[in-house]
Amino acid sequence: MPKGCKTYYEQEVERIFAHAQLAQKPYLQLRRSKQFMQTNYPKKISITQIAEAAFLSSSHYIRMFKQVYGITPRQYLRDLRISKAKQLLQDGSSATRACFEVGYESLTMFSTAFKRATGVSPKKYQKMNLRNLE
Amino acid sequence: MLRINITSVPVDDQEKALDFYTNVLGFLKKTEVPMGEHKWLTVVSPLEQSGVELLLEPMAFEPAKIYQKALKDAGIPWTSFAVEDIYKEHERLLALNVHFSVPPKEVGAVIIAVLDDTCGNYIQLVQTL
Repeated sequence: MPKGCKTYYEQEVERIFAHAQLAQKPYLQLRRSKQFMQTNYPKKISITQIAEAAFLSSSHYIRMFKQVYGITPRQYLRDLRISKAKQLLQDGSSATRACFEVGYESLTMFSTAFKRATGVSPKKYQKMNLRNLE
Repeated sequence: MLRINITSVPVDDQEKALDFYTNVLGFLKKTEVPMGEHKWLTVVSPLEQSGVELLLEPMAFEPAKIYQKALKDAGIPWTSFAVEDIYKEHERLLALNVHFSVPPKEVGAVIIAVLDDTCGNYIQLVQTL
């Protein structure tokens, strides 16, 4: 392909994005809300607080977030917390400590969410990953 | 319940692919099982060593080669990998002489870039914003 010439794929990406329903500003608002979740995930945070970070009403915010990212803010926050818990478990934290450090208030709820997200319990996940480090 | 444990990229040369996917992209070799003239050869991300494996699949089926080439000619990536900081990764890979058909480009909620894996495919990198 000659240098500077765009591939069919790149042209298609540009064409689709040009027809996207959202202007630039809402993207920035949604990113602000993601940053809010990335900073505050260890605490108890409500959808209303997250929506306020994006300067949007809760229902409008949830609809826009799903339109852009394909999942709801609640699902994003859960995935973020599980991802952080995986790091803590890999670093040797107990399941209980990981649970509370990522914002869950109940070990049962944490274990259920963790298993649903990864397919294994927190303890089994830790064993599998510690074994990998040997 | 079923789970996804493997996905694949077709490669024209498994040894060359192993070198590129490990020494350039930074994956780790997970399994290497000789199977006749080819191998069952997989790599994983260092960050998810018990996660989904990527099979470097020998491209020995002629019709599949036509499909692979058609995608490549159109610049369509075979698959996509996630990255934390796409600009940093782009700089790192450029220093290793990796060719990008699409440099980092912001499209809505993501930044994408597309690189040539030297084994017959384009691969997309994605940073979610």
